[in-house]
Amino acid sequence: MQTVYVDNNATTAIAPEVLEVMQPYFTSEYYNPSSMYSAARTPALAIQAARETVARCLGGINPEQLLFTGSATESNNTALFGTVLANPARRHIITTAVEHPSVLEIGKELARRGHDVTFLPVDRNGELSVDDYVRALRSDTLIVSVMMANNETGVCYPIAQLARLAKETDAGIVVHSDATQAIGKLPVDLESDLQHVDLLSFSGHKIHAPKGVGVLFVRQGTPWRPFILGGHQELGRRAGTENVPYIVGLAKACELAVAGVADEQTRVRGLRDRLQATLEERIPALEINGKAAALRLPNTLNLAVHGIEGEAILYELSRHGICASSGSACTSGTLDPSHVLKAMQVPFTAIHGSVRISLSRYNDEADIERIIEVLPAVVARLRKLSPYWDGKRNCLKI
Amino acid sequence: MPWDYSDKVLELFKAAVQGEAGTHMGELENPDGFGEYGSIACGDTLRFTFRVRRHPSDPARDVITEARYLTFGCTSAIAASEALCCLLEAHAKTPVEALQVTNQDLVDFLGGLPEQKIHCSVMGAEALQRAVADWARKRKYPMAGLVPDLAAEDAREGRIVCSCFSVTEPYLRRKIKELHLHSIAEITNALKAGGACGTCHHAPGGLQDLLNDIWGPAPGEQAGHGRQPLAEEGLSAYQLGRQVEAVIRAVISPMLRKEGGDVELVDIKGYKVYCRLTGRCGSCPEGPATFKLLVEQQLKEQVDDRVQVVTV
Repeated sequence: MQTVYVDNNATTAIAPEVLEVMQPYFTSEYYNPSSMYSAARTPALAIQAARETVARCLGGINPEQLLFTGSATESNNTALFGTVLANPARRHIITTAVEHPSVLEIGKELARRGHDVTFLPVDRNGELSVDDYVRALRSDTLIVSVMMANNETGVCYPIAQLARLAKETDAGIVVHSDATQAIGKLPVDLESDLQHVDLLSFSGHKIHAPKGVGVLFVRQGTPWRPFILGGHQELGRRAGTENVPYIVGLAKACELAVAGVADEQTRVRGLRDRLQATLEERIPALEINGKAAALRLPNTLNLAVHGIEGEAILYELSRHGICASSGSACTSGTLDPSHVLKAMQVPFTAIHGSVRISLSRYNDEADIERIIEVLPAVVARLRKLSPYWDGKRNCLKI
Repeated sequence: MPWDYSDKVLELFKAAVQGEAGTHMGELENPDGFGEYGSIACGDTLRFTFRVRRHPSDPARDVITEARYLTFGCTSAIAASEALCCLLEAHAKTPVEALQVTNQDLVDFLGGLPEQKIHCSVMGAEALQRAVADWARKRKYPMAGLVPDLAAEDAREGRIVCSCFSVTEPYLRRKIKELHLHSIAEITNALKAGGACGTCHHAPGGLQDLLNDIWGPAPGEQAGHGRQPLAEEGLSAYQLGRQVEAVIRAVISPMLRKEGGDVELVDIKGYKVYCRLTGRCGSCPEGPATFKLLVEQQLKEQVDDRVQVVTV
């Protein structure tokens, strides 16, 4: 049975081109880039070249504003804690209720340490109210941290506008954005529309590079201090011997991702839209979370299936070779359903029945056909078992 | 990580979903016993029904012949429901004997459950107890002492300790003792209580307090939490706000309306006035810049020359 991998917002397959450029740095070019012998020049230059490549991909910025990290989670921690370290006088932080845990949990931790943290709510479409945001801005606001696009629903946030409003309120407000889900799916230009963003994070493994490497952009002049200490690497801003092969791989992946934005916006969006329309037609009592948002990632489809539980759906899909994910409580290891869907007030009859399908450049028509063939039948079978489904009238029974 | 389900769990789940012969999905009409436990908001529900072969004179000798379930829940909840019905039918138990079936029997039948999924088996035992109580009512069989007085427990309702899963104090007290739960984690795994927001863990009268009350205080456990209220921030912009509103209403809005547009005041912080351009002006490419100049100039002249306009 062929595997249909549609969980690309969780992680992605490594691109063959990426693997190829990494190979020499595992074998012959293993030297520590900080060493003095001439052989160490190759890995040192490779890191420099990688930094320049990533800088070009982000709108042609000065490469010295980029540091390589171990993950987007590390980038987020470094961005936020580093800013807090450098600005003890400012105590207010604005973020959203739908951030990835690597921002959300830092927000909660800073609140425990005595900061005043505003978690902006979202509406039923998953969108923020810009008015709420404006009203939350304060003269002692230190950080605004809002993701570019949500990992669960694909809903995108107007970062350029939010960043400008922060700077016009007070030039000392530091703007951070977690761009992990945006790279390769949306244009990310830190010289033009995102010129007011000070800190930007993302990882390699969402764009077909390996897990274990990330990027943090720190705009020159941002009041920020290093968070991981103990070495001169990355201009003293992130200690630890550089992960040369992964950095090289990430740069290649960035190049491919930026070149692939057009494909995502046309072909991949087409696949997603067709899948969405067909499932809406064939599955009764189905909602699409984030469908009405002004802007949604072209690859993401978050289904709310009324009356059944997401984990059971995933196990059935898995038996048919389809890899997807769910915001259901039963899949999370806790008993709480997804904080994103809760913040969107997805109705209680569907909050445990969410299924996320996220595509990549490697998905094709055949994958979509397979999902269309399997998913409606899986939903129908599980609904037969559910006390909340009226099989005769084919509707929810509550 | 995929849950580490036993082969038995996966086998029962698969058979149930495929509706294979010998599985127990469904709901009996006019059952002799009906019990339901859980809710859709909490993420799982089991509706359990059974039929007995009635003994002509002695209800105590009724034998369960058929058991059926409908389950809203995950893989292990569905497998545990199937297990419950298999166990009851296989041993031709009387309803009173059926009460001896514990959640541990279900776990054993399933070849084990991941710790965080123990509540799926507890749900089975709870639904069974309720169904047997229903049978006893219908057959006028005296149940006193055989099952916890669920009706009385429900009637007392009791204070809700875990509001995420609507778990009450009387229920928690009974189950903590019945299942020998000694930590918050054990309570959450078995009963779900405390598994979401976590507020009830150490709140006054919360899970830790109940544990302390039942088993004695854990070493090192101490009370005293709560945060200081946050400091108030900023100056009141009341007078400035009123004047800005007045100028917008009397001067700026009328000017913009002539052009088919209007302005909406969003906020004022210090001398920064946040407004949104609406109507035709909002979509005009020249709009934002012209708008900002016009509004700012009026407000500077008529209110305070420190006013700055921020377009939203």
